[in-house]
Amino acid sequence: MVKSIAKKEFISTLRDSRFVALSVIVLLLLLAATMVGLHSYQTLQEEREVAQQTVNEQFANSADRHPHRMAHYGSYAFRPKSSISFLDFGMDSYTGASVYMEAHRQNSANFSQAQQSSSLIRFGEMTVAFVLQMLIPLLIIFLCFGAFTQEKETGTLTILLSQGVSLQQVAWAKIAGYSKVVLLVVAPALVLASLLLFGRGGFELNGDLYSRLLLFMLFYLLYFFIFIVLSVVLSALHQRSSTALVTLLGIWILFCVITPKATANLGATLYTTPTKAQMDVEVHEEVAKGVDGHNSGDERAEAIKQELLQTYGVATLEELPINFDGVLMAVGEEHSSKVYQEHFDELTAIFQKQNNISVFAGLLNPYLAVRHLSMGMAGSDFSHYIHFQNKAEQYRYNQSQELNHIQATKLKYGDKETRLSGDTWKNLKPFQYEAPGAGWALSNHSISLVALLLWLGLVCTLGIRLIGYSKIA
Amino acid sequence: MDIVLEAKQLKKQYQDKLALKGLDLQIKAGEIFCLLGQNGAGKSTTINLFLGFIKPTSGAAYINGLEVAANITKIKEYLAYIPENVMLYPNLTGLENLALFSSLAGFDYDKVQLMHYLISAGLPAEAASRRVGGYSKGMRQKVGIAIAVAKHAKVLLLDEPTSGLDPKASNEFSELLLKLSEAGTAIFMATHDIFRSKEVGTRVGIMREGELVDVLSAAELDANELEKLYLNYMHV
Repeated sequence: MVKSIAKKEFISTLRDSRFVALSVIVLLLLLAATMVGLHSYQTLQEEREVAQQTVNEQFANSADRHPHRMAHYGSYAFRPKSSISFLDFGMDSYTGASVYMEAHRQNSANFSQAQQSSSLIRFGEMTVAFVLQMLIPLLIIFLCFGAFTQEKETGTLTILLSQGVSLQQVAWAKIAGYSKVVLLVVAPALVLASLLLFGRGGFELNGDLYSRLLLFMLFYLLYFFIFIVLSVVLSALHQRSSTALVTLLGIWILFCVITPKATANLGATLYTTPTKAQMDVEVHEEVAKGVDGHNSGDERAEAIKQELLQTYGVATLEELPINFDGVLMAVGEEHSSKVYQEHFDELTAIFQKQNNISVFAGLLNPYLAVRHLSMGMAGSDFSHYIHFQNKAEQYRYNQSQELNHIQATKLKYGDKETRLSGDTWKNLKPFQYEAPGAGWALSNHSISLVALLLWLGLVCTLGIRLIGYSKIA
Repeated sequence: MDIVLEAKQLKKQYQDKLALKGLDLQIKAGEIFCLLGQNGAGKSTTINLFLGFIKPTSGAAYINGLEVAANITKIKEYLAYIPENVMLYPNLTGLENLALFSSLAGFDYDKVQLMHYLISAGLPAEAASRRVGGYSKGMRQKVGIAIAVAKHAKVLLLDEPTSGLDPKASNEFSELLLKLSEAGTAIFMATHDIFRSKEVGTRVGIMREGELVDVLSAAELDANELEKLYLNYMHV
């Protein structure tokens, strides 16, 4: 029974020229977004790879220098783009792409696309995710709003039901038929995206990539299914197609336009972030309370000096087997890094709280749930950005300390003139970023996943049950 | 003969309106019962109660001995329904529509069998492969008949089936009903058409304001007498 009606829905829809035209437009948009996204990804990724390679080479081929001069010379960490971020740019356009890593200072990522582009980017980009999140649900609404109402208006529902099928069976059949139609519109674009992804070189085709892509597709298929069931249920509960359409469009506006903006504004209002200047002042003040690596006359430096002299049983700094300047630099770096990390963690926690409003709102809005999951799988969400930022800071700290160690072990106290051979820098490991796996990404979005599954359960149980209360005659 | 369609003190109340006032009725296999009445008399309400589309306020409707309200799905096996205006799926052909509705009733016919039902119902063979969106009302009605016949139902419920049909199509329809009746199908037809009722009906019921005010044997009176009687009941 279900199969027959589902087949009928599929054939009827394909023979509806209005729907075919609409589907072709959406499919073309999807394909265009895929191509544009991939082109943008390739350009940015290549730029970043070249930039990273250039700065790494520049660092490794640096001239003979004093190690602390080298620490101040610093390096850059460029954030590589996630392989499937071409499907969902997420926050990538707004977060920075590179971090300048130098001694004593922790810089945040700079040079986001939004900073470098016209303000038009702030109106949203035509990405695959945009089409999947916003336009496909709209297509689904136009496809399904008359699922039951048209049958009621024309009277076919009574003939259908008189053949011995229940309302619920009709609903499931329609859902199956419409799902097939939606798949027909979406699948070519997803297949093309996969072919483009797997067909081009430049990145590793590994289990993680496959997992991310499969989960990305699965979440969207669930999202579409939720919209299909919701549309069919609401169509069954209405008597007229016009009112069903108005209700569904209202829900779409609420889900896809109003709530995302409202939750973002609410988050920013409830949890205010300090300004950069305010944070810089606080960090500076707290760092000043610690050891200043550049000032060996500092009281706290004096205590370290005495401790070292005592440990090594010598009377002067010159007699120490290690360079006190390097030791002091290392202690100062440790302190300033700790202070910065604490402030950075506090700031991240505030952003996380702001984000959580939107994450928990996913329990009321499947659009928000799938948006978070989509960004997470594409590796373009806030968590991935913070992961990179932390890795860059970890690298910066380790490299500074390594240079401090070189200063402490290879130069004498007070020696500010000796230049170490350029070969020394070649032995320092360049920055290499490894993005976290799909499991890590998914664990950051467990609430969104639960929200999506709850929505699925809700529309498939309560929604279908409600259809039983639909008026037939 | 067996009673296949029955109503016992069947009532339906819509808020402040009593649409059906305790209907008692029995229809046997092979019988054609025509229910005459004005718009709003309760004819469609009666059919909807037999179909299980609405629940009775009190009393019960039975199809083939099964109470409708308690056997909503099961009773559909025994009945077929043709509304006043058979609306089919416009993007499917006549054949595809018949195939769909037959398969829902549990009959998977091949193309030859489907064509047989459509042609028997009076649909031109060349029309069967055309989309129903381009059919006239009469042609849709014929597909509706084919759907009902192909189901081999014991009970056929008809709601103003000849309304809007041309005389030729109406006559063909009457002939088909008589054939089905001869084959043992019980037919309940709600209609305004007094002459058609007299022509095909075994019994004719007159319903006024939700009440079955009279039941007559069609064989015992002519069309003019029936019309006079009907108009009397309608206070015209």
